[in-house]
Amino acid sequence: MGVDLPYKLSAIAELTGHEDRAWNVAWNPVKPLLATCSADKTVRLYGYSGIPTPTFSFHTSISTDHGKTVRSIAWSPSGETLATASFDSTIGIWQQKGAQDEDEEVTAGEWQCASLLEGHETECKSVAWSASGTLLASCSRDKTVWVWEVQPDCDFECLGVLMEHTQDVKSVAWHPSEEILASASYDDTIKLYLDDPSDDWFCFETLKGHTSTVWSLAWAPGGRYLASASDDCTVRIWKRVAEHQWECVCVLEGHERTIYSVSWGMTTTKRVSEEGGEPLGWLASAGGDGRINIWQLEEAPNSTVNSPPKYELISCIENGHGDSDINSIVWCPRAGYQDLLATVGDDGMAKVWKIEVA
Amino acid sequence: MDYNPNPIIVNPGTTWTRRKTQKERHSLWLSEEGDDSIDADDNEVELIDGDEVFDLIRSISDPEHRSMTLEQLAVVSAPQITVSNQKNHVMVEFTPTVPHCGMSTVIGLSIRVRLLRSLPNRFKVDIKVKPGSHTSEHAVNKQLNDKERVAAALENNAITEVLETCLESAGRRGRPADI
Repeated sequence: MGVDLPYKLSAIAELTGHEDRAWNVAWNPVKPLLATCSADKTVRLYGYSGIPTPTFSFHTSISTDHGKTVRSIAWSPSGETLATASFDSTIGIWQQKGAQDEDEEVTAGEWQCASLLEGHETECKSVAWSASGTLLASCSRDKTVWVWEVQPDCDFECLGVLMEHTQDVKSVAWHPSEEILASASYDDTIKLYLDDPSDDWFCFETLKGHTSTVWSLAWAPGGRYLASASDDCTVRIWKRVAEHQWECVCVLEGHERTIYSVSWGMTTTKRVSEEGGEPLGWLASAGGDGRINIWQLEEAPNSTVNSPPKYELISCIENGHGDSDINSIVWCPRAGYQDLLATVGDDGMAKVWKIEVA
Repeated sequence: MDYNPNPIIVNPGTTWTRRKTQKERHSLWLSEEGDDSIDADDNEVELIDGDEVFDLIRSISDPEHRSMTLEQLAVVSAPQITVSNQKNHVMVEFTPTVPHCGMSTVIGLSIRVRLLRSLPNRFKVDIKVKPGSHTSEHAVNKQLNDKERVAAALENNAITEVLETCLESAGRRGRPADI
């Protein structure tokens, strides 16, 4: 597989240590830190350095106070705060003790729970910070999405409880620049929400098309497109066709079991096609078949408001985590490292991949 | 609550297979006494078939009728199991005793946990109720094959207690209880 594809993925780090299934991985957007979380109730942090191919080393482990699986993690845009979503139905907010070094070095202070957000009735499945870092969203098997406002001293005020889905809410994701929230559910739909300045948060659109659970969402870096990954083994691309309207413009196939994760990155090593359409970045997907797919997307020349982007599978690797499912795949957002991908799997391992011209 | 107070009992098969003792297998949940899981040497792929998978699950106790096995109640049977060694895939279909059986999820979970503990890691397992055999067929199937739901259920003490009770007899692999 993949012999004819123009790019190849090479594993540059295999990070062990979790004692159970690893569910989620998150790159710190500012500092050289990678975080993973697991059914073993811990979060592990790894540091890295070196260009162009960094080496990774274990930094620290946060035992967390969560009583059950830590299902997902998210760094605040400042890189100072980590949020954890747990099956114990709480959201943890974590900060490092002590002052931060000026030169972006990772300090040695211990990570402490600065706040514990209660309110969800059952397992929390996902947590996400808005682009400005002033809002936090969480979702749960209790079918709700909560929007929290971040206040000084790690205080969080609930601004709204959105009860739109008819089943578990699997994932939440904020638009990269606007305060638009998306949620994906076991009810096979995606919902989009906005804040009504004179009233509450409300759902302004329901995206239907997937034929089974929607597990993961990824906004395109420019925010015009949204990608969704599903148990129906497809990735759908939704395009903004009006101010508050998105439409499915293409369906990507290439997985044989549930797709658990999708990530949309903006790489610096852009491959320009002959037509030279506007690059839309690279989309990575992974799931129960252990396969990692990388698609390049670009705006079609002469594109219209609802024309699909051009897409091309540029890299593919089988059995990324051996026999294990891959539960999360994420592009590194930091300048100079945008050709790196992190994955975690049922084997409890985190892997870092570098994508290069084959 | 009784879902089916008078289930039909079938005669279990008179033959059973007993595999030679295998090395103890690491399990995320627990290791059983006299572990009889299907496992291969690290560098050797062992082929398995539907009968072997059936052997692993036939003696699981029914959650409602604890003295009876899933085989005795005809909830599971060898022809309802499909194995592809090439694709590393196992499909187990089971038949609830009544179409409104509220225990179907627990039965499916007990089959899933048994196979998670016993099958080599390379196998992906799908579990479904027999088409037309349950009023909430789609909902039961979806839940049993959502690994996040399964993982959360296995962190719920009330559910795991029931599952462990059902799985106590699983190691008999078709043999009567008195052996």
